[in-house]
This record gives sequence, C-alpha cells and structure tokens, in this order.
Amino acid sequence: MKFFEALMKIDRRILYLVLAAVVIIPFIFPFMIHPKAMPPVENLYNYIDSIPQDKALVISVDYTPDTEPELHPMTIALLRHAFTRRIKVGVLCIGVLGLGLAENALNQVAGEFNQRATSKADSIIYGRDYVFWGWQTPVLTVILGMGERISRVFTVDYYNNQTETLPMMKQIKNYNNVGILVSVSASASPGWYITYGQTSFGVKVGIASTAVQAADWYPYLNSGQATGMLSGMKGGAEYEELVQTNLGITDRRRATEAMASQTSAHFAIIVFILIGNIGYFVLRRRKK
Amino acid sequence: MKRRIPLAIVFIFGVLGAIPFLIPHRIIQNADNEFRSSILRIIVAFSLVLGVGSIIRHHFQKIRRKKENWQYSYITLIALVISAIIGLFGGIDARGMLPTQFTVPFTEYVFRFDIQTLYTNIMVPLAATMFSLLAFFMTSAAYRAFRARNVEATILLLSAFVVMLAAVPLVSSFFPKLSAFSEWILTVPNTAAKRGLLFGIALGSMATSLKIILGIERGWLGGTS
Repeated sequence: MKFFEALMKIDRRILYLVLAAVVIIPFIFPFMIHPKAMPPVENLYNYIDSIPQDKALVISVDYTPDTEPELHPMTIALLRHAFTRRIKVGVLCIGVLGLGLAENALNQVAGEFNQRATSKADSIIYGRDYVFWGWQTPVLTVILGMGERISRVFTVDYYNNQTETLPMMKQIKNYNNVGILVSVSASASPGWYITYGQTSFGVKVGIASTAVQAADWYPYLNSGQATGMLSGMKGGAEYEELVQTNLGITDRRRATEAMASQTSAHFAIIVFILIGNIGYFVLRRRKK
Repeated sequence: MKRRIPLAIVFIFGVLGAIPFLIPHRIIQNADNEFRSSILRIIVAFSLVLGVGSIIRHHFQKIRRKKENWQYSYITLIALVISAIIGLFGGIDARGMLPTQFTVPFTEYVFRFDIQTLYTNIMVPLAATMFSLLAFFMTSAAYRAFRARNVEATILLLSAFVVMLAAVPLVSSFFPKLSAFSEWILTVPNTAAKRGLLFGIALGSMATSLKIILGIERGWLGGTS
C-alpha cells in the first residue's frame, strides 16, 4: 500500500531526470533506426520525384527556432531531394523568424552539393538552381500574389537582388510553373495555402508539420487537397531514408539520429502512464 | 461620427474583400490584386510602426512605474535597439555599411555579430530550449493525470497508446498492423471529428464576420454599443 502511495506522490523532478536520461543517453550511445516510409510520406516523395525540370519545388519555411529540431531536417531532406534531381527550388517564409533557418538550410545543402561538384554544371548555383525570395507580408498578398507573378510579390530576393533579373525566375513566373509547394510548418500556414493558393490557382500543396499538428491536416490529406505529408521527427526520418535509399545521399541525417532519443522517450512516457494507472487502480480498489 | 466612419470603412472593405472570391471577372480581379499588392502592404507597414511604438511605450512605462519584473524590460529594449542597428546597418551576413565582422588580431579567427550570427547563436538555442521544456511538463502531466477513470478516458488512453507506439519505428517495423491501425485512427475517427470542428469554426467565422461587416457586432470599437 505504502509503495503505491509513494509511487503516486513521486517527485516530479525524478520524472524529469528519467526523461532527460532517456533523451541524452541515445545521443551518447547512438543506435540507428531505419524507419519504413508511411503512405503520406511516400506520396510526397514520389510526387516531388516526378516534377518535370521546367517546374519548381517551392518550400515555404513556416517554422520558428522552437520547432527547428523537428522540422529543419525535413527542409534539408527536401532540398537534397530536389538538388539531386536538378529540380529548381524557390524558398520563401511566411513568418520573419523563419528567414535565418531557411538560409541555414540552403547554405548547408548547397555547400554539400558544391563540395562534391566537379564542374560548374554539377554545382548548385544561386539564381540558376535556387532562389531565396525571403519574407513578405501580409500572408494573403503573398499567397494570392504568387498565383499571378512571383516577382511582383518579391520584387527583391533575400539578398537584395532584383528577382526578375535572376535566371531561374525567367522560367518560374507563378503557380503554373510550380510543381508543388511544400509548407514546412508549425502553424496554420498549410491550410492558408490550400484555402487560397490551391482553391484560386490549383497549386499542389504538400505538408511537413510537427507531430502534434499532424492530426489537423488529415482531413486535407484524405480529400486529396494535400498531396502528401511528413509528420514530426518520424516523418522527417522516413523522408531521409527514402532520399538515402533511392538517391544515395549519405550526408548527415539529423531526424534519423534523433529517432533513437524519441523512441526511448516514447517508451519512457508509456511506462510512466502504465505505472500511474496501475497505482491509481490499486489504490482505488483498496479504498473500496 | 467617431463611430460611423470606422463602421463605414469596415463595411466597404469587408464587402470588397469578399467580392473577388465570388466574381471572377478580370476587372474585379485586377482591382483586388492592386489592392492586395499596394494598399494592403502600406497598411501593414503602418502596423509595424504601431507595433514597435507600442512595445517601446509598454516597457518604458513598466520601468518608470517599477512594475513586477521591470528589470527585464531593460533587456527587451536593449535587445530591440541593438538588433535594429545591426539589422539596419550591418545587413545580412555582414554585407551592410556597419563593420559587423573583424579578424581577431594575431589570429585568423573572424568574429562576427551580424544578424544571422545573432539569430543562429542566440535566438535558435533560446527558443529550442523553451520548447523542449514542454516534453518534461507533458511527461509529468501524463503520469499524474492520464487515467482510465471512465469509458471515454479509457478510449482516449488506448488511442494515445496506439498512436504513440506506432510513432516508434522499432515497434511499427515489428508490428506493421499496429501502424496501419494508428493510421486508421488518424484517418477515420480523427478526420471525422476534425471535419465537424472545421465546419463549425467556418460557419462561426462567417457569422461573426457578417455581424462585424454589417455593424451588428461593435465590440471592436471599444466595448460599448
């Protein structure tokens, strides 16, 4: 009896300590998990893989540093996929705090490819292969305006170049030249792209969201309004697995690395819930 | 007059905002495009001025009246001024007129304090740390409050178990049917509930918007009708 009473009154700092341990230990002694891609992830991968070369992949970096560990690996995996397939990439931000993350991702992935490049044709060149449009506001102006002319919404890019003068932009004028727009988001932005961008201009929308928000997007996934979805760290790891298996990209996979920690944290929480419920039922029975 | 003018503005722009979604004619679409691309942006630029002004005034008053935790207001104001100066004059990646990077004498080390460096080294770790604390609170809450007290709570608990287990790749590779069941929970019962909610929210938003456009709901004017 006393054991269960003590169990129910356990100090929360002990729970914190256990959780910290199960998160940190797998980083020190890592074990690699290779997740199998679920249908929403596969659908997005296959669609991006089939984008013709005259169309672009647009990535909307709609997350802020707080969700960076969960969503940033998705942006990086999407960029690696597009650059390997030589699909042109346009990147924008709906929120101003996403700018730094978008730039980090672009610099990192372009750097990886350029290190391996043997010629200019092999390289990933700004303006030719990708453009970072930056941030504009308000949201409605950006989403609807891009359906008419992207360079009118973003008259200058993030680096203050005239957007119209960049070689890629001669080909990518509006949503008609966009294969798919993927909103990597910790907010409601995928819904805005579907409500305004897709309804008005028919642009295909993909979603990459935090695990906690994924449930919100299933109605759009079921109706076919969202082409595919990466949900949470696991979605990112599944996409990384597809990129590595199918395209042979062996650069660092942060989502896959973090899966070990997430797995042990999930197990710990499940065990905590079980212990909490066992204690609750034992005490309730004895009280009766 | 003080009330009629704002009400008239809301009515006119509320109707103008809805029309382009109902009438696809080119003239209407062009006018809407012009409105969104030019006028709306200018209005938003003014709101930025208002926002910065408001935050400065709020924190100055907090310091002057020595309200609770007033000392932290200094940090907000100093951070605002420094980041504004670096952002405006240093540019992105030290390309502005302000020398935001220099080589440390007698070394090859380049010290940078441009916006991107500040963002990557201060903003990212601070925000990520704040968010990661959630995991600890969630664990504590799950241990104390997630109980199978009745039938509804038990169903919720079991669904959470399945979805959580399926999110673990090790489990889903050993028990593929569990993954399929988790996907079913998200695709069918979850979607049904979400759709109901979405319809409710959409109808509620439409009703509230109409009330505001027609001047029936005037709470936004200052709380008195």
